[in-house]
Amino acid sequence: MNSFFTGIIILILSGFAVSFVNRNFKILVLSLLNTIAACFCLIPAMKVLVSGKNLISSFDFNSLFGVVNFRIDYLAAFFIVIISVMSVISVIYSRGYLKSYADKNIDAHLVFFPMLVASMLAVVTCQNAIVFLICWEIMSLSSFFLVIFENEKKEVLKAGISYLVFMHFSVIFIMLAFALLSVYSKSFDFSSFSSVLEGHKYLANVVFLLAFIGFGTKAGFVPFHNWLPKAHPAAPSHVSGIMSGVMIKTGLYGILRVISIVGTPSKSVSFIVFIVSLITALYGILYAITQNDIKKLLAYSSIENIGIIGTGLGIGMLGLSYHQSLVAILGFSGGLFHILNHSVFKELLFLSAGSVYTRTHTRNIEKLGGLIKTMPNTAVLFLIASVSICALPPLNGFVGEFLIYLGMFNGLASNNFFTMIVMLFGIACLALVGTMAVLCFTKAFSIIFLGLPRSEHSSNVTEDCESSMILPMSFLAVLIFGIGLFSIVAFSLVLKPVSVFVDVNQYNILSALSLIGFITLYALVFLTMLGLVIFIKIKTSKCKISIQDTWGCGYDRANNKMQYSASSYASPFLSMLTPLFKKVFDIEKPRKLFPESSHFNLQFEDIEEAYLINPLVKYDEWFLSKFEALQSGNIQSYIKYGLIFLIIIIVGSLFIK
Amino acid sequence: MILRLIADIIILLFAPFLMAGLIKKTKAFWGGRKGPSVFQPLYDFIKLWKKDYVISKTTSGVFRIAPVVMIVSVLFASMFIPLASGSSVVSVAGGLIVFAYTLSIGKFFALISAMDTGSSFEGMGASREACFTSIVEPAFFITVGSIMALSGNYTFDSLREIFANAGHYGILIAIFAVVVLFLMILIEGSRVPVDDPATHLELTMIHEVMILDNSGSDLALYTWANGIKMLLISSLIAFIIIPAGLNEWVNVLAYLGVMALISVIIGTVESGMARIRMSHVFEFIFIMSSLALVVFALVTAKMFGG
Repeated sequence: MNSFFTGIIILILSGFAVSFVNRNFKILVLSLLNTIAACFCLIPAMKVLVSGKNLISSFDFNSLFGVVNFRIDYLAAFFIVIISVMSVISVIYSRGYLKSYADKNIDAHLVFFPMLVASMLAVVTCQNAIVFLICWEIMSLSSFFLVIFENEKKEVLKAGISYLVFMHFSVIFIMLAFALLSVYSKSFDFSSFSSVLEGHKYLANVVFLLAFIGFGTKAGFVPFHNWLPKAHPAAPSHVSGIMSGVMIKTGLYGILRVISIVGTPSKSVSFIVFIVSLITALYGILYAITQNDIKKLLAYSSIENIGIIGTGLGIGMLGLSYHQSLVAILGFSGGLFHILNHSVFKELLFLSAGSVYTRTHTRNIEKLGGLIKTMPNTAVLFLIASVSICALPPLNGFVGEFLIYLGMFNGLASNNFFTMIVMLFGIACLALVGTMAVLCFTKAFSIIFLGLPRSEHSSNVTEDCESSMILPMSFLAVLIFGIGLFSIVAFSLVLKPVSVFVDVNQYNILSALSLIGFITLYALVFLTMLGLVIFIKIKTSKCKISIQDTWGCGYDRANNKMQYSASSYASPFLSMLTPLFKKVFDIEKPRKLFPESSHFNLQFEDIEEAYLINPLVKYDEWFLSKFEALQSGNIQSYIKYGLIFLIIIIVGSLFIK
Repeated sequence: MILRLIADIIILLFAPFLMAGLIKKTKAFWGGRKGPSVFQPLYDFIKLWKKDYVISKTTSGVFRIAPVVMIVSVLFASMFIPLASGSSVVSVAGGLIVFAYTLSIGKFFALISAMDTGSSFEGMGASREACFTSIVEPAFFITVGSIMALSGNYTFDSLREIFANAGHYGILIAIFAVVVLFLMILIEGSRVPVDDPATHLELTMIHEVMILDNSGSDLALYTWANGIKMLLISSLIAFIIIPAGLNEWVNVLAYLGVMALISVIIGTVESGMARIRMSHVFEFIFIMSSLALVVFALVTAKMFGG
C-alpha cells in the first residue's frame, strides 16, 4: 500500500517538477516520472489481483473526517490497472501532439494532467465519503483545466463551462446519496454503509437512484450525456483519450461501488438501469452516425459504449435480484470486460484522430479523404480500433459483447414473462447497436482515410505523424489483438472484480471459461484461415494487374467532389429516423444566371439539448435577469446586502432555537 | 465424421453456384426461354479466377484484402451452421451471435473496400447496404432468439426442436420463421424485389454496385461469398423443415431438395415481381421485422399462454 501512495505523490509532484525543466524535455521527464509512478501503483494492484488479499491503510484525521481508509480490493485494483496503463500512454503520446503548440505555455497543462491521474487513483481506492467527494472534485476540476487548454478560443471556454456545470450537477446527487447514507449510519466509511441498508429496501432504492444519476452523469448516461460531445472536441486529443477511455469509467466505478454497498438491488431499480443503458446505447450510436466532426462522433460513440457497459451491469443486477448467479456473473463480467476493452480502443481512436488533426488541422471529416496513402500507420491503427469497437471477432471488442449477449440469452430462460420480453428487446437493441456501429465506423474510416482527398486539408499532408505518437498507439493496437487472442487471460482478470458482487466459486464457471477459451480458439483459427487464403490466392494467381481510373460508367473526368460524402453515406439510414433529431439547414441556393456563391450545410442537433436543455437555460436566464438590478457596481450597496444577510441570519437563528 | 466434413466442403464449393444457376434456369423457364446451363455460374467463377485484374489507382490495400476477408468470414461462419449432414462443425451456446458477427467482419470490409474506390456509385451501394443490414439483423436475432428461448438451448440445434417443444404452435412458429428467413435471403442475397442482380449500372442497385471495380479473382471471391451467404441462410430453413433423426444420407438428399426448392421459389418470385422502388425497400424490410415479432409473440403465447 505504501508503494501506491508513493506513486500518487510522485504523480502530484511530477507536474510541478517539470515546470523547472527545459521546454524540450518537459514531457519526456513527465512521461518518465509517470511511468515510474504507474509502476508503483501497479505493484499493489497486481498483488491484490493475484493473492486476493485486500490491502487497507488508515489515516486518522481525528476531528476533520474521522478515520479515512484507503482500500485496494479487486474492484479498485481492476480500475487502477486501467488508469495507470492508459494514462502513461496518453502522456507519452502528448509529446508529439503538443509540439504544434510550441509558442504556448504548457506548464499549467502539465500540472493538471498528473493531478487528474492521481485523483482518479485516489477516487477508486478511497473508502471515506467526504474524502471521496474531495478527490472527485479535484478530478473534475483538473480535467476542466485540461479541457480548456486552448482557452483563447471562445467555444472551448464555453464547452469547458458546460462541462463544469454538468460535473457539479452530478456531484450534488452523489453528495445527496452519501449524505443519506451517513445520516443513517452515523459514519462516513463505506464499510458501515451496507449494514444500514439491509433492513431499508426503500432507502436502498433511493440511494441507488441518486447515485446512479450522479455517477451516471459522469459516465454519460442519457439524458445526462450532453457534456461529452462538447468537452471532447474542445479538449486536446490525449486529454479526450484519457477522459473518454478512463475518466468516465470512474462514474461506472461509482455505480459498481454503490451496487456492492447495496448488496442485492431491487428488481425495479435493475430494470431501470438496464433500460436506461439500452436507450443510452441506441441514442449514442444514432447521434454518432449523424456527426461529421470526428471527435464529436467519437464522443457519441463513447456514450454508446457506456450504454453497452451499463447493459452488462443491468443484466448483472437483474441476475442478483432474481438470484440467478450465472446471469449475474455473465452480466457483470461482460460489463467489466467492456470497460477494459473500451478504454483500450477508444483511447486508440482518440489518439489516431489526434494524429490526423495534427497533420490536417481540421476535425471535419468531410474535408478529409485519401489519408491512407500519406498516413498509412495511423490509418491501419484507426482501422484496427474501428473493427474492434464494432465488436467484430476476433478482436477484443467482441468478447465483452458476447458475454453480455450470453447473459441476456440466459435471462430469457428465467421463465418470467416480463424478464423474457425485456431481455429479447435487449438482444434486438444490442444487435441494432452493433450494426449501427458498423455503419458509423465504416463511415468514419472510409471518409477520413479512403478515396480521394476532399480538400487541401488532406491533400497537403505529406507524411505520417511522428514515431513518438505512433509508438504508444501501436502498443494499444497490440493490446487489442492481445486481449482478443488471449481472452482467457483477460477473462480471469475480469472475473476477480466480479467476485465482489457474486460468489463466483459457488457456480461452476468452467462453462463460461470454456466459452472464452472457444473465443480464443476462434480468434486463432480465424487469423490462420485468413493467412492461408491470402497465401493460396497469391500462390495461385499468375495474372497481370493493370492500374486504371475508377470506373465511372464511361465518364473519365471523375473528381474528388463526386465521391460519396459522409453525410450522403449516412443519409439513407438517417432519413428513416427523421423525428429523432433536429435538423438545422444552412442553405444558400445558387441564384441568377451566373451564380456567385452558394453553399449547403446540414447540422444535426441533439434533440435533448434542443428541446429540453436550451429552453431550460433560456428560462433560467430570463428568471435570473430579474435580479440584474441588484448588481449595481456600487460597493456601498454590496456592503448593505451583507449587512441585511447577517441580520437575517442572526434573527433567524434566534427563532430557530 | 470425415465423410460429413467432406460432404460439407463439397456443398460449400458447388452448391452456391448451382443455386444461382437454378435460379437463372427458373427465371428463363418463366420467361419462356431455354436459359444457360445450371453450371454456367461455376464456369463463370473458374473463368474469372484465371482472368487478369484491373484495379483503380484511387484504391489502397484495403481494396485488395477485402475480398479475402469476405470469403474467410463467410467460410468461417459456415462452421456454425448445420449444412447437409444436419449438424454443424462447431455447436456452441450463443452460436447465433458468433455467426452474425462473423458475417459482419466480411461486410465491414466489403463496405470500406467499396468506399475505397472513391466512386460515387460504389459509395451509394455501400451506404444502402450498411443501412439495410442494420434493420435486418435485429429481426434475425429476434426470430432465432425467441426460438432458442422456447427450448432453452442456445445453439442452432434449437431450430430443429421447434416441433418437439411447441406442439401445435410449432407449425405456426416454423412457418413464420421460415418466411422471415426467406425474406432475409432476398435481402442479404440481394435478390429481387430488394435488389436486382441481373442489371448492371443502374442507380437502383445495392450489392452489384458495390463490387463494380472488382475484377478477376477478387470478383470471383465476392460472387462465391455472396452465394455462400445465401446458402447458409437457406440451410437454416432446411434445418427447420427437415425432421430430426433421419439417416445421414437421406438427410443429405432432403437438404439438397430443400436447397433446390428454395432456388426455384426465388426464381419464381423474381419472375413474378418487379423490383421495389428504393424508397420503399425499408417497408419491405419492416415486413420481415414485424413477422419476426409475430414469431416472438407466438413463442411467448406458447410459453405463458398455456
